[in-house]
Amino acid sequence: MLLLTRGFPLNEQGVKLKKELPKGRGLWVDGLRRLRRRKLAMVSFGIIMVYLLLTGFVCVTEIFDWQVGPARWDEKVGSEYEPPSAENIFGTDFLGRSVFRKTLYGTKISITVAFWASVISLGIGVPLGAIAGYFRGVVDEIIVWLYTTLSSIPYILLILAFALVLRGKTVFGYKLAGITSVYLAIGFTSWVGICRLIRGEVIKHKDREYVLAARSYGCGNSRIILRYIIPNVFHIIIINFSLSFVGFIQAEVILSFLGLGEKTRPSWGAMIDAARLDLPKGYWWEMTAATIAIFFISLALNIFGDALRDSLDPKLRIQ
Amino acid sequence: MITYIIRRLLYTIPIVFGVLLITFILFIVVSGDTSVEEAGKSASKETIEEIRKERGYDKPLFLSWDSQFIKHLKNTLVFDFGRARDRELIIDKIKRGAGPSLSLTIPMFLGTLIISVSLALVVAFLRGTIIDILAVLLCVAGMSIPFLSFILFGQYFLAFKWGLFPVFFSPDLTMVQYLALPVLIGIAAGLGGNLRFYRTVMLDEMRSDYVRTAFAKGLSVRRVLFKHVLKNAMIPIITRVVLAIPFLFLGSLLLERFFGIPGLGYLMIEAIGARDRYVIMAMTYIGALLFVVFNLITDICYAFVDPRISLE
Amino acid sequence: MNDNQTLLSVENVSTHFFTEDGVARAVQDVSFSIKKGKTFALVGESGCGKSVTALSIMRLVSTPSGKIVGGNIVFEGRNLLELSGKQIRQIRGNKIAMIFQEPMTSLNPVYTVGNQIVEAIRLHQKKSIKAAWADATETLRKVGIADPEQRVSEYPHQMSGGMRQRVMIAMAVSCEPTLLIADEPTTALDVTIQAQILDLLDQLQEQNGMSILLITHDLGVVAERADNVAVMYASRIVEVADSRTLFAEPLHPYTQGLLKSLPRLGLSAKRLQTISGTVPDPLHFPAGCKFHPRCCVGCSDKRCQTVEPKLRKVPSGRYVACWYAPGYEKKCKT
Ligand SMILES: Nc1ncnc2c1ncn2[C@@H]1O[C@H](COP(=O)(O)OP(=O)(O)O)[C@@H](O)[C@H]1O
Ligand code: SF4
Ligand SMILES: [Mg+2]
Repeated sequence: MLLLTRGFPLNEQGVKLKKELPKGRGLWVDGLRRLRRRKLAMVSFGIIMVYLLLTGFVCVTEIFDWQVGPARWDEKVGSEYEPPSAENIFGTDFLGRSVFRKTLYGTKISITVAFWASVISLGIGVPLGAIAGYFRGVVDEIIVWLYTTLSSIPYILLILAFALVLRGKTVFGYKLAGITSVYLAIGFTSWVGICRLIRGEVIKHKDREYVLAARSYGCGNSRIILRYIIPNVFHIIIINFSLSFVGFIQAEVILSFLGLGEKTRPSWGAMIDAARLDLPKGYWWEMTAATIAIFFISLALNIFGDALRDSLDPKLRIQ
Repeated sequence: MITYIIRRLLYTIPIVFGVLLITFILFIVVSGDTSVEEAGKSASKETIEEIRKERGYDKPLFLSWDSQFIKHLKNTLVFDFGRARDRELIIDKIKRGAGPSLSLTIPMFLGTLIISVSLALVVAFLRGTIIDILAVLLCVAGMSIPFLSFILFGQYFLAFKWGLFPVFFSPDLTMVQYLALPVLIGIAAGLGGNLRFYRTVMLDEMRSDYVRTAFAKGLSVRRVLFKHVLKNAMIPIITRVVLAIPFLFLGSLLLERFFGIPGLGYLMIEAIGARDRYVIMAMTYIGALLFVVFNLITDICYAFVDPRISLE
Repeated sequence: MNDNQTLLSVENVSTHFFTEDGVARAVQDVSFSIKKGKTFALVGESGCGKSVTALSIMRLVSTPSGKIVGGNIVFEGRNLLELSGKQIRQIRGNKIAMIFQEPMTSLNPVYTVGNQIVEAIRLHQKKSIKAAWADATETLRKVGIADPEQRVSEYPHQMSGGMRQRVMIAMAVSCEPTLLIADEPTTALDVTIQAQILDLLDQLQEQNGMSILLITHDLGVVAERADNVAVMYASRIVEVADSRTLFAEPLHPYTQGLLKSLPRLGLSAKRLQTISGTVPDPLHFPAGCKFHPRCCVGCSDKRCQTVEPKLRKVPSGRYVACWYAPGYEKKCKT
């Protein structure tokens, strides 16, 4: 089974540090201090916060049925295809709806999809990785076999297959439509990376002294994993979360664009899909609005995720 | 060497089996009996029954000799994927699409590789300077623009508005004419991520002890980069290159769609539109098989670059 | 200091690393000189700045964070810090060669050892490939590698650690340098092999007449082999003396501590003393004398805690940096 896991010879040489970074709390204190000193990362963090707050705001308006701003995205605010103006800064679409409001609303769809996809992928990958790395043996071989198999299917095909198959299915009386099938498809297909990382880390940690000590005064396996090992690999989870979020946002765009996503409400992907036919006619604003929205959140997440990784664990860089 | 390859081949058996199992669960078990949908709206009971027979939906899933799973194994292993919605054999469609897809993806891939590796060497040479920092920022910015925007804006401006390239594939154009723009767009979109990856690889190599030794001999930076670092960096580069090859066969979903190139990406788009999961299943299986094969090739390739890996 | 017996003189060199966490003053105001044909030892605990000192001489401090911020390094009458990139490259590997602590990783894994030695020879000498290969084989023989004709075309991973260190030495001496910097050449090796490697260095020194800058954290290694010793602590040299005097009468409390922790004949291992505490990290140096938190002489002295003593000549003619060293204060008032 050893060859199946395909350990890169590269990892042995890996990145070499002068000093072994301290782990545990010191790691976080040091890492966050270093992070705070990076201005660009902090600006990115601000941008991410703006997107998150916007998402929260849209959710709140929907829950309480407030008729403000982005919640009124389907309102006709002018004639069809009005170019950007002071009133409608991104112009209007083919039904005279405000592209700006649609973009704001799309933020919620995209962030929600990426968020749930992350939750699912971490929810599968972290436990499986921890179990495989901790117990080794047959369990490990099965999990490694499972993710090696999954990762040998080209990602785009896997995700398409899941989205295609899940769409319109009824599970426990709940019909998988719109964004649900999108984040399920993304989540189910993208846990391999984190699973592999966690497994490797757990293997490294499980024979360290603090774990052996815990075991010697009678800690059970689940307790050791939860109390001692997970906190020590938690930074990897966070880094992976922030870096894979970008991928999830872009995956949503492509799936929506292919007609496998949200149909009734505006998402960035759906906006680009609509713009595909509008662009040749010279109506560039809907496309531009969606591109800008995607660009800034991706850029911010990329920069922030990189900075986070460099501050917390520079050794992860090459993976 | 032979025993190594044979052993390595044996290791691929559980993986191929796993792929067969996953495609079966996904496309047959979870999808269920879709004969009604496949037959179309106004189909008679007999047609539906016929389709059910052809696909084997009436058979048990696992536990019998004529179960759907056994049939799936037998058929898929010999690339018999049945027929698409338009009754053409799926395997024929795939064979036909591979050529156009490759003619798009190979130049795109080589272009990206050559440009990004050489730029990575330059950037690694200038590490820490303002040019290096700018280059990294540009890469990240490039990675943050959605691929769709690259395509749509590229097509709109370069072909539609300024007329530098033909907008769409048509049979009377030469290959260079209709491929130039999609290839260009593909390179532009892929450059950021690749350049950043290769730069990281080079810089990690440059931190190695042997690089310090090389400098201590009195070698120039150029010599160290091109003689010592590049050859060591070949290991991750080869991995990436060889593992990218299966994707070349699959073509580019989005580029082919926008430029109307009749390749495998286009085939998949059509299949998604028609909800024809058998085509997607065939592509998934072939994609995975290629990946497994090229994974094997990567491991063998290491042996040629890295003397430390012995094949015995 | 600069008579014609002196090969290298390092004068007030400081090297800093400008990192994200602040400025690490890895080498501060370091001065010493090495005489022709002699062995000079630089001793200190790990992390005190020995390697950075050596890399500063080679001008190989890792860029962009590391920088030599001051001082002169005069080698054969030329200030190395003022040379152009091209000029310094002609000195590296040719006049000054260096071997490193990690024989396992210091050779390029994807080239044969012969290839790597030949590269050094052909870079500095006008020789045909064939002559250079013959040279390489000959040098390998000289450093005690059995069957050099075959070994020359082997890859580093096919050799043991000790053998690789011999290859490193062969590469270093292949151009007959006048100064060889050996940065902890034996630390990573087995005890039995350590002595062999050091003996090899001695023997090569006898043949070539080169000077050696021997860097080590092990005072025991130094005793029989070095002519002069500098003791380094937390980026600074705290004491310099010829090796006999240093061992007989150490002046600095740190040197005294080091000597006490050396195993000696007749002393059971239990009675060995160690210096408590650890080397401070260059980002968080203590104020005053950097040794004061660990020093049993001056730990409660106000001056030791606030003012750092510089390396000075004391009346006995030796150099030391400690307020309590005999004669140090009187000198300092002037
Ligand atoms: N590239 C670097 N970046 C930052 N700090 C460094 C670097 N190299 C060395 N240092 C710092 O300089 C100090 C001295 O290192 P070094 O000279 O390697 O010690 P040693 O005496 O063990 O050879 C170390 O404590 C380390 O923190
Ligand atoms: S100066 Fe003071 S603290 Fe420093 S070594 Fe001398 S006595 Fe100890
Ligand atoms: Mg050192």
